[in-house]
Amino acid sequence: MNLFVPRVLGMTAFGILCVFFLVPLAFMVVVSFYKADPMAFYQETFTWENYQKFFSGFYLNVTLRTLWTTALGAVLVVILAFTAMLAIAELSRKWQLFWILVLLSLMCLSEVIVGFSWLILLSESAGIPRLLGALGFWDNPRSLSPSFGAMMIGLVMLGFSVVSLILYPQVAGRDKSIEEAAQTLGTAPHLVTLYVTLPIFMQTLIALTLTMFVYLLGVFVMPIMLGRPRDWTMTVMISDKALGDANLPLGSALAVIMLIITGVILLISLLASRKRTA
Amino acid sequence: MNGIGGRVYLAVLLLAIIMPFIVVAGVSIGASKTIAFPPGEFSLRWYNVLFTESDWLKAMGLSLLIAVCAAIISVSLALVINYVLWRLKSRFSQFTFALGLGPFMLPPIILALGASLFWAEVGWYGRIEATMISHGIFFVTLPLVIISRGFVSLSDDVVEAATIMGASPWKLFTTVVLPLITPYLITGFVLVAIISFNEYLVANMISGFVVETLPIKIFNNVRYGYSPVVASAAMFFVATTVMALLLIARSTDLLTLLGAQKDT
Repeated sequence: MNLFVPRVLGMTAFGILCVFFLVPLAFMVVVSFYKADPMAFYQETFTWENYQKFFSGFYLNVTLRTLWTTALGAVLVVILAFTAMLAIAELSRKWQLFWILVLLSLMCLSEVIVGFSWLILLSESAGIPRLLGALGFWDNPRSLSPSFGAMMIGLVMLGFSVVSLILYPQVAGRDKSIEEAAQTLGTAPHLVTLYVTLPIFMQTLIALTLTMFVYLLGVFVMPIMLGRPRDWTMTVMISDKALGDANLPLGSALAVIMLIITGVILLISLLASRKRTA
Repeated sequence: MNGIGGRVYLAVLLLAIIMPFIVVAGVSIGASKTIAFPPGEFSLRWYNVLFTESDWLKAMGLSLLIAVCAAIISVSLALVINYVLWRLKSRFSQFTFALGLGPFMLPPIILALGASLFWAEVGWYGRIEATMISHGIFFVTLPLVIISRGFVSLSDDVVEAATIMGASPWKLFTTVVLPLITPYLITGFVLVAIISFNEYLVANMISGFVVETLPIKIFNNVRYGYSPVVASAAMFFVATTVMALLLIARSTDLLTLLGAQKDT
């Protein structure tokens, strides 16, 4: 059979991915070593300056804060999604489809829309504070955002749908024989979940937590819409440098550091899955 | 997790997911100029503004155009990669497939900044085509994975039969492969279109100053003092997204497509 056409097609597809996906990333690494120039985008002279700035304190602090926020968000997302999926898997197929549609809608909806909705729900004039005030539970209702909690809700909302949808086929299609055996032997249902179901999924859940960590690392809208300036994450700083201050080299250096963190995490999760199959 | 406890837990979660949208829906049909819920008086004036004012209409049109073009790019690329992998099964084609999974493994801000620098260097910064291409490339992962499920379902004997009967590769593709994977293509297309339609960060960093898509317009409005028009625009989003997904659900077996076992 003539394999010329598929070969050419394969090369073309590979080329397209390289030009529009890998080249921009490589170029970003290059720019991170350029000198900042307030008049132009940047000067094409090599410098370590941007990375030195990173280790000088402020940005390092932002990075540590980002790591902590993101880790907390990732753990919360995985716990909520896993428990929800265990419950959803018990429902009838019709209700499962309903949930899948709800989750897909939530996943597809813009960060901007989800963030905006929570902004309204937490606001003084239209949301939970007003309701609590009207019911007499809160004397002096005030807006609940921006705050760390509001930002965390936003992050969890974004990740929850993604993790649930990834978990769905595995949880819904799992082999239940061991769980049923444990129950027949008289183990209480919640203990079965804790000692039988959870260990079966432990590896998957850890891998998902790492994936979620990387995903939440790059979220921009939630911190800026629902968080206070002191909650702002690296992503906000990067886009600030790139668009606001027009300091593209520094923004690039921060993005490269984020890329390195991402790489390390992906490597850890790869090694963990190797160990599992070995 | 089963029984009453599970149901209650799910009900609370569902409430947390849906509640914000109910409040926004309420705000969008309120007559007052400030954001208030529950609304005092009902009116559709904000929807009227959304669908008559030219800058909102323009933003909607731009978003739709980008979404459709990005979905075409994404699905074509994903189809080619899957087809080549299926025909050749070579190391190189496996590597290309893996490369296509890459964009979903990186934080979006990194992709956005890289693309922004790249397009500025090429001289396409601020052009709508740049946003279309970047969306098309960055969202290729979804159709790539979905279409690969379609190729797995292609049974070897059908292909072999067609080849023995003398079908050319092109004929084989159009008469055997394409009809079988069409549902997967459509699902991939709709998903990429929806996600592109909703995407903010990449679009904003590549050409946000010039090409103001609907999410960018909503974001700018929220940041710099907002009116209930934003609420009606948000509801428009929710409605289009849910409707598009319902369409997929009606025409395909969504649960199976997502990897659950077939209904027995």
